[in-house]
Order: sequence, then structure tokens, then C-alpha cells
Amino acid sequence: MSAQMLTFLSNDGVEITIARDVAERSVLIKNMLEDLGDTDEAIPIPNVNEAVLRKVIEWCEHHKGDPPSTGDDDDSRRKTTDIDEWDQKFMQVDQEMLFEIILAANYLDIKGLLDVGCKTVANMIKGKSPEEIRKTFNIQNDFTPEEEDQIRRENEWAEDR
Amino acid sequence: MVLSLDCLPEELLQHILHYCQPYTTATLEQTARRFRGVTNEPALWRHYCLSNFEFWAPEHELPRRLAAPISGTDWKRLYILKHTSYRATSRLLDSIICSQVGRIQKFQAITDLGFDAKDALSHNLLVRSKADDQLARRYYAGAVLSCLHRSFAIREWAKLRSGEQVSLSRALAAFDLFICESGFGSLEEVISRLDQIIPMLVANYPEVHLKTSRDKARTIARFLRANNLTGIEPGRGYHCLDHNFIGVSLKDPSHNSLPLVSAAIYCHVAQGLGLDARPCGFPFHVHVIVTPPVGFDIDDQEVEAGTRGPPIYMDPFRSDEETPVADLQHQLNFLGASAAEEAMFLGDSEISEIVLRCSKNILNSLQRGSNSRHARSASVDLVSAKYAALWSYILLSDPARPIELRQNLPWLMELLAMEFPADINMVEQFITPLFDGTAEYNHILESLHVMRAVDSIPREIKRRSPQDDRVKYRIGQVCRHRRYAYSAIITGWDVECGAGEQWMRRMEVDRLQDGRHQSFYRVLVDDRSVRYVAEENIEPIITELMDLPHTLVAIAGRYFKRWDSNRRVFVSNIKDEYPDD
Repeated sequence: MSAQMLTFLSNDGVEITIARDVAERSVLIKNMLEDLGDTDEAIPIPNVNEAVLRKVIEWCEHHKGDPPSTGDDDDSRRKTTDIDEWDQKFMQVDQEMLFEIILAANYLDIKGLLDVGCKTVANMIKGKSPEEIRKTFNIQNDFTPEEEDQIRRENEWAEDR
Repeated sequence: MVLSLDCLPEELLQHILHYCQPYTTATLEQTARRFRGVTNEPALWRHYCLSNFEFWAPEHELPRRLAAPISGTDWKRLYILKHTSYRATSRLLDSIICSQVGRIQKFQAITDLGFDAKDALSHNLLVRSKADDQLARRYYAGAVLSCLHRSFAIREWAKLRSGEQVSLSRALAAFDLFICESGFGSLEEVISRLDQIIPMLVANYPEVHLKTSRDKARTIARFLRANNLTGIEPGRGYHCLDHNFIGVSLKDPSHNSLPLVSAAIYCHVAQGLGLDARPCGFPFHVHVIVTPPVGFDIDDQEVEAGTRGPPIYMDPFRSDEETPVADLQHQLNFLGASAAEEAMFLGDSEISEIVLRCSKNILNSLQRGSNSRHARSASVDLVSAKYAALWSYILLSDPARPIELRQNLPWLMELLAMEFPADINMVEQFITPLFDGTAEYNHILESLHVMRAVDSIPREIKRRSPQDDRVKYRIGQVCRHRRYAYSAIITGWDVECGAGEQWMRRMEVDRLQDGRHQSFYRVLVDDRSVRYVAEENIEPIITELMDLPHTLVAIAGRYFKRWDSNRRVFVSNIKDEYPDD
């Protein structure tokens, strides 16, 4: 069963064939396969292009042995932003690709990958001034000087850490 | 358009922000309008509140807020409030560690924050062992934290004294808050431990609610005894200090406890199951008195309206069955009790009396055990136990018997000065007023005044002059007493004996080989005392930290930042007094 191969079709029309157990890291696909039963046709993934899909598959291949996530996120626990070495390397991509991976992981419902992506972004924001964050992510400052001043004063508490 | 952070949908931004520190989120808010809403999401700030802070002062009403709709609370504001307390605590603690001056006031400022100070203190207690001042940090964080815990206990006893309603369980749990080893940091933690017994019992006896009062009373005794939750196992010393503390005995796997504590555990469980169960003031051995509800007897038979059947007496320490009242009366007759006394001994006891009995039991255990193996086998700290007993004794003793108050006061004042100076504020608030109008009143005021004065004045600076190398050893060196062989750390020195003439005569200083004109050292000993030793009796030793008595290392933080494993000395944290050491 685990050796069964499945074919997927990216939104730019490329077919990619992978093992079923790798594909089932995606909860979306796992549920779909349960509903569809066995299929020989290529399964379209309408929101993801080839480059991103290959990247996502690379991640799923590497993590296929991971225990499935239990889904119960304990909100009261402090969330760690530690990322393991392989994932850190994996996430060394340009920003466009990083956000594409996050969107794809969200769409395909791959919790582990979504977490790694979000942690990577969290680490990119960490320790920067507002101006540095704007530069990093190319964000336009659309506050008036008065607004900016007021928000800065509201957040003065955060300077003391 | 290039895909970037501000293009992500709201839910993904939330996901990212859950991984950010709150101050990072606050910074992101300042970048652009797009992030104003997402960074102010109440669920996000509730998450920050719960994941960053474990301890919440009751006035925050956290359980109520968590049960209510999320929009009912300004979670960001609450977070900022907690953050501010956390930072204030950390700064005060840093300042306590940094300088020997003004510590009392800083202790007070932290304990005023109550529960909200606990997170910062707990984190400092767990400071990594490589930190530059880890010994001092752990010591003072622990000192403030235990002072805070004692303040919860003392307030509870003060309430009891002033006639407010305090449950027996809370009044006894207060003793555990004096004992670091108990691991309890609030009365509620002990109570919840007690509460856990009730569902266990119900699981074993699902029909317990249907039973008559008598059968219920027996079932509870049987369950507690079968599960070893009351009594003392054979072969263990009855008077072991641990047996006096309800929390300690609940946590210990064998749950040994004195009759008084066993009775209190029984009462808590019985009350939880709807029985009217209270401690009874029977001499020497506290029993439980179980009274049927109005209109019924103990077997749930109806009796004349407005009356109730006679109570039964349980002794969960040693029996599943009730003790026949005739047996109790027989014992009282044997002791020669009058009819009035008999009625009192068989009636229910005031909670303050039970607390007072517990204080006396502790002092008794300490006295009996002072040289026996029972005392040494105790897991609770003897000094803290004595201190708890003295506080409760003084707060709850009968004002009509001032002699008991007076007897215990000097012991309390001595422990305050030597071990618990941070508690001076509580002594002022709760002890001093009790002595108003007595001969002791001015004496207390004077002692407290001196303590405060010493605390507020910078220490006299003791420099080493290059021409004068008479003082051979340095602050932080480990040594052994040549005659008495205890190990100690040097915490101070005088070029010549600086103690008073009287002390020198009593200690026969002039009979030392080098007499009074040699250097003298203040040394910290593993029994927590500070002693004054002549240089000729100091034998410096080269040792590893691991080979020093654990108790000595635990208190070294009072004067030292850390252990220097290369030089094999403690690094001074009293440079304001000895700048050259």
C-alpha cells in the first residue's frame, strides 16, 4: 500500500508522481483520497505551481517518517521558535518562495511545514526596529506622523524587556 | 506585485504572531496600518498572557475571564500590566543583588506585588548555572519568594485571629507555605491537592452519596486508611517533624501524619461529600465530630423537628469505625475532667485552637527531636518549621494568656534578625500591635528600628593598604576551623579583633597564641551561622564546589556571586564593603 504512486498536476500544468505516504503528509490530500478511493488520474492542485510543489514534496519526503501531528495545540504553552537544522536549510529561499510555501502548506493542510514557515518569518521579524521590518518586507509606511507618534507611545512598555 | 508579509491572509499572520514575542508584535504594529488590527487581536494577547505568566493575583480574576467571552477582557492591557509587574520585580531583584543597602524596602516592594511577582522570581530561581551572579541570584530570588509565600500564610492566620471565616484546611495549609521543601507556593495549591482525594473516593464508592451519615463517615475513614492517607506507618517515629504538615504529608508517598493532620484531611473530604465534620477538642488526640443534619439522626432517621440526633466521633488516624462516646467519656473521667470540661472536650473545636495545637506539636517535635535521628530524618527544614510554629503561636494564642506570647517573642525576633530579615514588614504589621501597652512593645520597636537603620546605611568600606599585609586571607576563601573542623567561607575581616571587650573576655581571646592583636574573620558556616574566628584558627582549604556541604553552597549566595572553579574561591558580591577582595 505504502509503495503506491500518485500523480499530481500543478497549476502550471506539470505532472509530478510521488509515493502515497509522502503525499499523505497533506491532510487535504489524505482526506481527498479517502473520499475518492483509488485513482489513476492526475490529481490537480490548482493553487500551487510546479516550483513550489516540488519544494513542498521535498519537505514531505524528508518528514515522511515524522509522527502525525496530534492537532491539539496547547495554547497555554510557550511556543518555541526553534527550527531543526535541516528545516532551517530548507527554508533558505527568497521571500517570495517562503511566502508561497506558507500559502501552499496552509492550502494543503501540512501543519509541520506551515509551522516551520511561520517560525521562519517570526524569526525574521524578531529583534528589528519598525523601520528595519519595513525594509526587510518592503512594507509601505502609511501612517501620518501623528498616528505614528501615538502608536509609538502606546507601545513604550515593550521597550522595557 | 511581489508576494510579501502584508499580502498574507489574516489567519496566517495570526499564526506567525503566535510564534513572536509580544514586544516583537508591538513593533510590527508600528510599521503600517495593515498590521494594526492583526496585532491587536484579543486571542493573540490572551495567548501571550497564558504562555508567559503562570501566576496570577486573585484580583485579576483569571478563571472568570477565561470562562467569559474573549471580548469581555482587554487582554492586551492585562498583558501589559503583567509585563510591567514582571519587569518591576526583575529590576528590584537586580538591585537587591547589586547592593547591600536598602534591601528591606526592595523586598517589601516586591512582596507588595503578591502573586504577580512570582513569575519573575521563579525564572530567576532557575537562572542558568553559567550566569555571572547565579549563586546570589538564586539565593535572593528564593529569599523573596519564600517571604512572599510566608506572607500568604501569615495573612490567613491574621484573618483567623480577627474573627474572619477561614477553613481548617487553609489554616493548616498555611504551615506548609513556610516550608520550601513542601513545594507549595499558595494555599490554593494545597487545597486542590486535598480536593483530588474526593473524586478518587467517589470512583471507589460510587454509591457513597446514597449512604446514611454514619455509613458515609465510616466509608470515608475506610477509604482514607486503605489508601494510607491518614495515620503513621509502623516503625516511623511519631514525632517526626514532617508529620505536622498537611501539604508535606499529602505529597509524601506514604502520607504519614499526626492525628491532628489526619483529622483535618478527613474533615476536608467529609465536608466535600456533604457531611458536617469538624475537629473535636479532645485532649492529646484530635478526633473528628460528625453531626447529623437538623431533623435527623446519624442513621438518617427523622427526629423531632428542630432537633438532631447525637453526633458520632471518628478517629481516622487509627480506626475505620467510630469511637464510642462512652470510651471518650471514660478517658476524660480518668483524667479527672469536670462536667463542663467534658462538654468542652467533646464539642467541636475552634479552628484557631487546632492551629495552636499544631504549633505546639511542631515545637514539641523539635524539642524531642533536637538530638534524635527523627529530627535529622525530617525532610522539612527545622529552622523554617520553628519559625512557622512561632508565628502561628503568637498570632493565635489567647490574649488572656500573655505569658505564652512573651515567651515566644524573643525566639521569633532572633530568627527574624538572623534568618528572615525580609519579614520585618510583616512583623511590624502583625506582631508589633499585639504587644501594644506591654513592656515588650518598645523593645520590639527598638529592634526593628536598628534593623532598618543597619539596612539603610552603606557599609563601612574596608580597604587593604599595600603597606599593611596583616590580613592574610580574603573574602570568598574556603577554610576549616583548626580546632572545631567545620568548613566555612570567609565573609569579612578585621585587622585586629573588633568584638567588644566583654566578648573577648568570655571567649578568652587573650589566651590565643597571638591574642587579640591578630586578624579576625567573619565566616559563614554550613549550619547557616556566622562566626568570628582568629586568624590562627583559620586553615585555608583548596576544594571543589561539589565537595562542600550542600547547605553551605545554598546560603553562599547571600555574600557571593558565583564559584570560581579556576581559583577555587567564591566571587565576592560584597565589593561595596571590601573593594580590594
